[in-house]
Amino acid sequence: MVAQANTVGTQKKGFLQWARSRKGQQAIIIVAFMIIPLALLFTFTYLPFGKMVGYSFMKMKYAGARTFVGWKNYASVFSRKDCFSALKLSLYYMGGSIVQLVLALYLATVLSFKVKGGNVFKGFMFFPYLINGIAIGFIFKFFYTRGFVFDTVLQWCGFQLDNLPYWLKDQSINNISLVGTSVWRYFGQNMVLFIGAIMSVDSELYEAAMLDGANRFQQFIYIILPSIKTIVTLNVILSITGSLSAFEPPYVITDGANGTATYFIVMHDIAHTQQKVGLASAMAVVLLLIIFVATILQKLFFKYVFRNSEDEDFNATKRRDKKLAKYADRKAGR
Amino acid sequence: MKLKKVTALTLAAAMTFSLVGCGGNDAPAETPADTSTDAPAADDSADDAADEADAADDSAAADDSAAAGGLTYASIQLGEDNMDITTTIKFIHHKTDREEDGTIADLVSKFNEMYPNITVETEGITDYAEDALLRLSTGDWGDVMFIPAVDAADLSTYYLPYGTVEEMSELVNFADQWKDAAGNCYGVGYMGNAQGILYNTKVFADAGITELPKTPDEFIDALQAIKDNTDAIPLYTNYAAGWTMGGQWDAFLGAITTGDETWLNQKFAHTAEPFKDNGDGTGAYALYKILYDAVEQGLIEDDYTTTDWEGCKAMINNGEIGTMVLGSWAIAQMKEAGDHPDDIGYMPFPITVNGQQYTTAGPDYCYGINVNASDDNKAAAMTFVKFMVEESGWCDLEGGYPISKTAPTSFVFDGVNVVTNVTALTGEEDVMNEMNAESELSFNAGGDAKVQSIVEAAATGSESFDDIMADWTERWNAAQEELGIEVQY
Repeated sequence: MVAQANTVGTQKKGFLQWARSRKGQQAIIIVAFMIIPLALLFTFTYLPFGKMVGYSFMKMKYAGARTFVGWKNYASVFSRKDCFSALKLSLYYMGGSIVQLVLALYLATVLSFKVKGGNVFKGFMFFPYLINGIAIGFIFKFFYTRGFVFDTVLQWCGFQLDNLPYWLKDQSINNISLVGTSVWRYFGQNMVLFIGAIMSVDSELYEAAMLDGANRFQQFIYIILPSIKTIVTLNVILSITGSLSAFEPPYVITDGANGTATYFIVMHDIAHTQQKVGLASAMAVVLLLIIFVATILQKLFFKYVFRNSEDEDFNATKRRDKKLAKYADRKAGR
Repeated sequence: MKLKKVTALTLAAAMTFSLVGCGGNDAPAETPADTSTDAPAADDSADDAADEADAADDSAAADDSAAAGGLTYASIQLGEDNMDITTTIKFIHHKTDREEDGTIADLVSKFNEMYPNITVETEGITDYAEDALLRLSTGDWGDVMFIPAVDAADLSTYYLPYGTVEEMSELVNFADQWKDAAGNCYGVGYMGNAQGILYNTKVFADAGITELPKTPDEFIDALQAIKDNTDAIPLYTNYAAGWTMGGQWDAFLGAITTGDETWLNQKFAHTAEPFKDNGDGTGAYALYKILYDAVEQGLIEDDYTTTDWEGCKAMINNGEIGTMVLGSWAIAQMKEAGDHPDDIGYMPFPITVNGQQYTTAGPDYCYGINVNASDDNKAAAMTFVKFMVEESGWCDLEGGYPISKTAPTSFVFDGVNVVTNVTALTGEEDVMNEMNAESELSFNAGGDAKVQSIVEAAATGSESFDDIMADWTERWNAAQEELGIEVQY
């Protein structure tokens, strides 16, 4: 008994001593500081997510009884016609995001050099991003209405109304019309991000390149692009991921009708109109996995692209080293 | 070294703790959830039982007091009784637009011509369905309100009965909308809604249509005549708004298309082939085929994807639209949207079952009187309600289906049987909801997409109407199988 009490006493003393020591204080403070953010992260991110994953194995509505159905929801995500055909629409949005990034990069490059009225242009092109997505939906609903804004403008340019398509009715182009609104909205934001990155490029490099006889395009390819590759990668990944989860334009403009229902809209409909919460949760989990895969693939792709460029550099140094060695040899051999 | 060890230990401890935390979190969260699903149900039923007991008591008391005070809707003679009451009553309602344009103030001033001593304060509430319930729970909301979604068992705790449903039925339509187990009537509608088709009488006249169409074929012919003889859009679908498709077309399922009041809520879910072609222009098949045919034959607006709900009101008023499929509540809005209110007409849905046309009708919001108000206020409030229903002409002003059986009305539905889809059998109340969710067709429950898809299929020719109906039947049968619902019809 006594011995036991003694050992407990020494242990306790040891802990207290340690807790009072500088290192002990450090450790305690680190843990204490980490607990709050970790607790918040857990409560508001991982716990709800875990719950959703749990729901995806159940047949349930928002209210009422829940029954466990195993993988049935996942099976129906893959067997239903509407889920994966909706993902095909994402290809439109991905195509749109490529156009958007190229356009943004081009304008950013132009605008980051001295241009008359550059700031005004920047403002005009960034402006759509500031408008609420719902408002944009309404703007474009009228914009695309037969005989309204867009058709009128095209008629000024000499088109006949009879030859113009129905922008939202014709199922072969209505998704392109919707993607157009998304490009219109986001390319300004991408452009501003690119401009910010380009600004950080040392301007002496341009001068040096110019002295070496590089034209603007070569400057872009060999100086600007490598310097902002991080931000380009980020933007591409965000845009592709965003196009997998496109929601606002089709939801507001066409209500997902007429063949414009993206994966998100199908999910929304299943969760809220049909109240099949389990199935919708399973769809969300599947989409998450798809986004993971897409992101990893892009990461690998960019890694491959960048390694190539590094290889080139590496070869160049190798060649230079060889040349230098040769030179030294010649010098030594003389 | 020691620090590392201790940190590692602490971290490990923290992690196990947090794991235990979530394990512990989960377990209690699950179990109470499980029990709680049962427990509240039990509580509820206990409450219900208690409430019903209360209700019985209250209604007995109310009956007594009604008998003693003689305060029933039927017994009040407008302009003779309650002339000596001087008080102020408060009326809360959802018609904010009518509050703003002064209509309600006009009605109140009419009331004050007859009853100058009763002051009526009115308040229009946005988001009424929710706010009214909140105010109701506080008890201090006023004297007259439109009854929000309360349980039948709670009616007597909040509202004063107008009398028995039996005696009220002689005076007003839909007296059984708010009734308790004892058969007392607690709500009187301010206007009724009927289902039919809105049309422009001038367009019909210009198109040479002299008799209102009564069958799907006649209706399509009428639309064709409008297209041939006028510049108007024969049928404006309001496709883009969504709710104007599912919400409005589904409303004709049931008695209107089959002539059977029990079909929608009692038979539909148990029917093997609810969408089969009856061959005589009746049933769900004929209903949706009208839409398909109209679209296929180009009898709708040019670009249906950009229809504009606000814009269509002025268009039908000005004779740019021939017909629109909307409930009778829309009449007033269409009349007010332009300079030709007299051109707006309303006709029964063009389906005839065994030589009869049917329409379903029901009340909009109903007046309820605060049971906790003072006796004077109760009497004043009931007088006010009776005036509003019988004399004010509000219902007619809104173009509503009549509530009062004696007040003059301009709502003409000649030769049409007005019926109500009877409610589901006891124990099967949720069957339609389950079927709607499982089949994802969502009839009368936000299933706009399926009606929109009819328009798309007809316009692009991607799917024949029979294929659509076959697909629906398949989904319906799959849902019946999944839910274990017996097929009886």
